[in-house]
Amino acid sequence: MVKTKCVAMLLAGGQGSRLNELTQNIAKPAVPFGGKYRIIDFTLSNCTNSGIDTVGVLTQYQPLVLNTYIGIGSAWDLDRKNGGVTVLPPYAETKEVKWYTGTASAIFQNINYIDDYNPEYVLILSGDHIYKMNYATMIEYHEKKKSDATISVIEVPWEEASRFGIMNTNSELEITDFEEKPEHPRNNLASMGIYVFKWSVLREALIKDSENPDSSRDFGKDIIPQLLKEKKKVNAFPFKGYWKDVGTIKSLWEANMDLLDETNSLDLYDHSWRIYSVNPNQPPQYVSPDAKVKESLINEGCFVEGHVERSVLFQGVTIHKRANIYMNLLSCLVR
Amino acid sequence: MNKNILGVIDATTYLDPLKDLTEQRILAALPFGGRYRLIDFVLSSMVNSGISSVAVFPKYHYRSLMDHLESGKNWDLNRKRDGLFFFPAPNLDIPFHHIGSFQCFSYHLDYFRRSTQEYAIVTNCYTVLNVDFCEILEKHIENGCDITEVINEGRSLEIYLLKRELLIDLIVERDKTGYQCLYDLIEDSKHPYQVCTYDYEDYCVMVDSIQTYYQTSLELLNPSKWQELFKGNQPVFTKVKDEPPTKYAKSSNVTNSMIANGCVIEGHVENSIISRSVKIGKGSVVKNCVIMQKSSIGENCVLDSVILDKDVRIEDGVRLTGSQDEPVVIKKGAVQGVLMT
Repeated sequence: MVKTKCVAMLLAGGQGSRLNELTQNIAKPAVPFGGKYRIIDFTLSNCTNSGIDTVGVLTQYQPLVLNTYIGIGSAWDLDRKNGGVTVLPPYAETKEVKWYTGTASAIFQNINYIDDYNPEYVLILSGDHIYKMNYATMIEYHEKKKSDATISVIEVPWEEASRFGIMNTNSELEITDFEEKPEHPRNNLASMGIYVFKWSVLREALIKDSENPDSSRDFGKDIIPQLLKEKKKVNAFPFKGYWKDVGTIKSLWEANMDLLDETNSLDLYDHSWRIYSVNPNQPPQYVSPDAKVKESLINEGCFVEGHVERSVLFQGVTIHKRANIYMNLLSCLVR
Repeated sequence: MNKNILGVIDATTYLDPLKDLTEQRILAALPFGGRYRLIDFVLSSMVNSGISSVAVFPKYHYRSLMDHLESGKNWDLNRKRDGLFFFPAPNLDIPFHHIGSFQCFSYHLDYFRRSTQEYAIVTNCYTVLNVDFCEILEKHIENGCDITEVINEGRSLEIYLLKRELLIDLIVERDKTGYQCLYDLIEDSKHPYQVCTYDYEDYCVMVDSIQTYYQTSLELLNPSKWQELFKGNQPVFTKVKDEPPTKYAKSSNVTNSMIANGCVIEGHVENSIISRSVKIGKGSVVKNCVIMQKSSIGENCVLDSVILDKDVRIEDGVRLTGSQDEPVVIKKGAVQGVLMT
């Protein structure tokens, strides 16, 4: 059997409290997006398109919809005999129940899962970003640089830099230090929350971190600073392209509206890098003689008789005559 | 649910009037209604009627059909027990005997013998309808019939229901009885069987010529017909394609049309059926057309009463005009430039 080179661990257990009502009953990665998708589709599709076929999905907060949605991973071609997608919820041990108390603790508690595949690298991902990225390129970069850890970074506008985790680097793109939401940023390279680690290095760091009672069990706050302190080689991997953290209602809405922009760089129509999702199998959309549709994204099963402009309609939405929809996001089965 | 019926789809039919659309594909795989293939309608009807074992008998150019059906997964027919079976004709020179050729079935007699279902439903592959076969079975039993033929307005829909054992007898004894198919038997006035008819009154069309194909396609724009075909509790299944939602640009103007996913529309579309992943450029007018998947229409084109098969490329500024009775048909994969028209 071919050895698994890289295991992806997708952090999908966060509450996403800044999305308020949208995440009352579902986890953030399961929030609908773009007329057809759920946010996690982008990360899972990136995995399968990058040739990563072993993905652990860490769930904790409101997992029902997310678990049902992921199923055995067939929508993303991740129903594999070896590897595939595995949902990893927190579990009880003989003495206590161990909740995931931070991103690092979630991975620490699943060391056994990763050890089963004994991979060379582990890719840490989060399920709340909208972007298309070839992780294989990042892993290649990590190998070439002989890094212990590689963090994917994106240039953000200087005035916004204090909202992100900022990586300060030298000219070789080696990370010298990390600042979480700095007041006076010295750099504008923001962490995208995507990490590649040499598994042996991460394994050791996780165990060490678990023994530190003061740790908040967070990759950004604890693991990366610890590796830097130990003079491990940590590199930044610059990413160019569309990337959006959809952690707030505003950014989620903006990301949807970006799709309507004709110059938008996130191309959903590129057949070589499809974004897969669980398909609803509904008839094509019907646009009636009275309807008017402009600058919109409409999914199958919609029945449009009214006026729709700058809107995103999810499957099975009916827009009646005389209805006016402008700058809207309509999710499943609104009538 | 009714696990008591075997589904048999005869997909051997070749119809000359549909030649332009079936040169490279079997009739069963002819795209229809924006995202479907003709076989989806009988096949989904079977699945919705609880039929869990379906045999498909293809003959010519069935690569596209195999590609479409795959393991039967999209119809939930990728089962350990029963499921979807594919029985291509072992040779192409079998004389054509109407739907349900017993000779064709005889090559795969094992399947009929090994199955445990009491009844079998034999259908063609080009009737567009959404029928509950259980109702037909109920009537069949109630009236003590040997064979039930489904008709619509006096015309046979080439759908027959009979006991599996009887079907096996008819296949085995075909040379003795002289009946080469179910049609022969029903046409013979001296047959010893109790033959009934079941009048199916909902929307149904047998797609047997370019004209019917074209008219039936555009009829889907009538919401009442649409609703008779796409019933909420009896969905029509098809191969899913992971296309994104369709994008309507600022310059688009769409009216009375059915549009599948994955399209980018920048022009004017009227009274048309647009399949998956079609591009329609700025300033183009598409009227009364059936556009199949992955075709692209450039800028400033005018297309009226045209059928574009799959993967056709229409270059900028092309004008094509057909008529309601004789739509222009552009064959699969063609490139149409201005100078050629």
